[in-house]
Amino acid sequence: MAENVKTAAGKTDERVSFAGFIKNHIFDLTAYAGLAVMVILFLIFNSGPRFMYNLSSVIQAAAVYSILALGAVFIYSMGFMDVSLGQQVGVYVILMILIGNAIGGVLGIVVGFIAVLALALLCGAINGAVSIFLGLPSIVTSLFLMFFFTGAQYLMMEATGENTIRLAQTIRPADRNTYSLMLVIIIAVLAIIGGYVFNYTKLGKYTRAIGANKTTAQQSGISLVKWQVFGYMALGFCIAVGSFVMLTRTGTAGKGTGTGYAMDIMICLILGGMPLKGGMKSKISSALVGAFTYTLLSNVLTTMGVPLNWINFVKACIFLLIVLLTCRKSKGILPR
Amino acid sequence: MGKEPIIEVRHMVKNFGPTRALRDVDVTFYRGEIRGLVGENGSGKSTITSIIAGMQKATSGEMFYKGEPWNPASMVDSQLHGISMVLQEANTIPNCTVAENIFAGRFNEFAKANSFLSMRKVNKAAQEVLDSFGLQHIKATDNINQYGFEDRKLIEIVRCVSDETEVFVVDETTTALSHEGRELLYKLIHKLKDNNKCVIFISHDMDEILEQCTDLTVLRDGEIKGSLTREEMDAPDAVKKIRFLMVGREIGDAYYREDYDSSHLPDVTLKLDHVSFGPIKDFSLELHKGEIIGFGGLSGCGMHEIGRAAFGLEKLAEGKVTCEGKEIKSCLDAIESGIGYISKNRDTEALILEGAIGENIVLPSLNALSKRTFISPKAEKKLSGREIDNFRIKCNSGKQWVNTLSGGNKQKVSFSKWTAKASEVLIMDCPTRGVDIGVKQFMYHVIDEMKKQGKSIILISEELAELIGMADKIIIMKDFQVMHEFMRSPELSETDIIEYMI
Repeated sequence: MAENVKTAAGKTDERVSFAGFIKNHIFDLTAYAGLAVMVILFLIFNSGPRFMYNLSSVIQAAAVYSILALGAVFIYSMGFMDVSLGQQVGVYVILMILIGNAIGGVLGIVVGFIAVLALALLCGAINGAVSIFLGLPSIVTSLFLMFFFTGAQYLMMEATGENTIRLAQTIRPADRNTYSLMLVIIIAVLAIIGGYVFNYTKLGKYTRAIGANKTTAQQSGISLVKWQVFGYMALGFCIAVGSFVMLTRTGTAGKGTGTGYAMDIMICLILGGMPLKGGMKSKISSALVGAFTYTLLSNVLTTMGVPLNWINFVKACIFLLIVLLTCRKSKGILPR
Repeated sequence: MGKEPIIEVRHMVKNFGPTRALRDVDVTFYRGEIRGLVGENGSGKSTITSIIAGMQKATSGEMFYKGEPWNPASMVDSQLHGISMVLQEANTIPNCTVAENIFAGRFNEFAKANSFLSMRKVNKAAQEVLDSFGLQHIKATDNINQYGFEDRKLIEIVRCVSDETEVFVVDETTTALSHEGRELLYKLIHKLKDNNKCVIFISHDMDEILEQCTDLTVLRDGEIKGSLTREEMDAPDAVKKIRFLMVGREIGDAYYREDYDSSHLPDVTLKLDHVSFGPIKDFSLELHKGEIIGFGGLSGCGMHEIGRAAFGLEKLAEGKVTCEGKEIKSCLDAIESGIGYISKNRDTEALILEGAIGENIVLPSLNALSKRTFISPKAEKKLSGREIDNFRIKCNSGKQWVNTLSGGNKQKVSFSKWTAKASEVLIMDCPTRGVDIGVKQFMYHVIDEMKKQGKSIILISEELAELIGMADKIIIMKDFQVMHEFMRSPELSETDIIEYMI
């Protein structure tokens, strides 16, 4: 008899079996388990006096990844990706230093950040709109922006005549722990805002719907151009903030600043359980879980004494392992 | 001599989470029969056959094929052993040629010493098979994307059936086929039956079931509720008996609208004014409040395109579409003007299959639910819950994914998106395609209620009985032109209409 077939929404959620729950949340559980393992290994390998120092290092490194990944969730949820992200970070950090040093004082920093924010939002809008108007895959427009920013970064550094440029003033608290606490607060605030926007506003719901089925989304009244542009602008905002946080951390920039961040963010999101084909299973938590797992992994491998080249090798192996585990599943996190 | 069993299913149980799709099912299929499987959407018909054909595994139970235990690893495994299945949804490989689709997975047969593949041989063999099925209009070397849904379905049938086929499962395939396609399929299944093979035929078309099947099994809520022999199917009260077994209650005569009042309110809601696009030239239409206009014709007659144009999905060369005076240039304009559209391509256009039922239902209504950017989960749940209840969607909760629902329940979700949005104009393109009799009756009731509420409806349908039963005015199209218009009347018959269609 049909006693367990209910017709009212939400009445039998609690009746879903444990096995069913595991099956439905396998990627989330794997991601959280990965983070838990990394935290345990971090605690094992960082006991004693080094603990606070290394914890602070992890927070500082994870902060930039977290912020960038929070923005990237909005475009990955649409099934898109952005390979220009790292080069944009590089150019924005250089720009903020140049503007900050030219104007000087707090005003210089503020003007620098506003200029970068405007540029990042503009690039986001271009990235989102051009691919739709020209009918190009989003990765193509982001490739164009990547080459553009690579060139811009090179030319700007050539113009300075230096290998590295430095912000004339210090914009971070002198105390390492205070600085880390400040970063934790920034991450928390952005995560709350990101969580709100992604879960409780049209932007998050529409970007997921676009990722799940573009045609259905459009025929349900969602403007693909508008929300794709907004999604990329959300990423642009996070790139600007992430660049600022990076500046507070390093205070310097060069030709190589930002290099590799696009791939790192992709790996962070995969480690966080984000389905790269986008859709309804996309989650904002993937950004934080992935960013911290990735940073802790690097830290643990370093403290274990693994050489830098081998760290990259291990990361590549883990990435391949995830690909192998998921690409053959129709509902896996990678596009088929 | 008794009939020889070919497939035996014993104590089969299939659970999807907390939902029991099959409950201790025992059924035997014999050689030389065309066994009809009927039941409401979600009754378990496709679940049984998909398990037999290796698409999924049973939770418990046993199967025997030709007397041996049967536990196929996949659909390919099943097909290699002689069990083939054609599904309701499109199942061809896009961007490949017709020949590549037909012989997918069998290229070794055309490779010299298992190395060099001769595409010439593949194409030649594929064309021979197509010709033998009477499908000379399909070219083996063509890209499959060139062909419409119906031809692709026929190509699938060609791919499935070979000399080695022992059991052929046809799962609600005929809804996608025209008269010619159906005739071709009927000829094929009767040939298989005559060759002592077994055909399992799933359909919601009662006439088709009664005409083509030699035996019938009725399912309800995952259980076998009864079987009928050919003699019992010929009895005068057979349809009534089958419907009772399917639904568990008397369906009654109240199926379509009972009134013959084609009046409506004077206000025009949707207007297509001398519209031209693609092969459609200078088409005009006025749809009033409280009016149901039906569109009928053979596949490719242009009726589906009219529905798309009215929803702003077609780029017009001339003329304009307006709703309440506002011009419709895109589907966004249409939705903002209160138009809803139920696409005939349910799985690819109307629904997010890998999304929750609730998420699908509220999608067009999110704009209205958004209060100062905030969309309350409580409001979403309330709205989707109301529609799930109103449409009696069989599910565990609004969080259940749409792709786990049966065809009829998916269609209800597609329908409920627009009732949730309170759309004033609804364009329904084949709204009851692949839907069982109980759901159809329910949907007709909903459409009738909408008319009474003053809503305007365009009903595009391939079923003439549906148009005659529901529409105030029927527009028959052929070759992208309006051939004739019929007003609602008790005297109107399918024969009157058909002469304008062909």
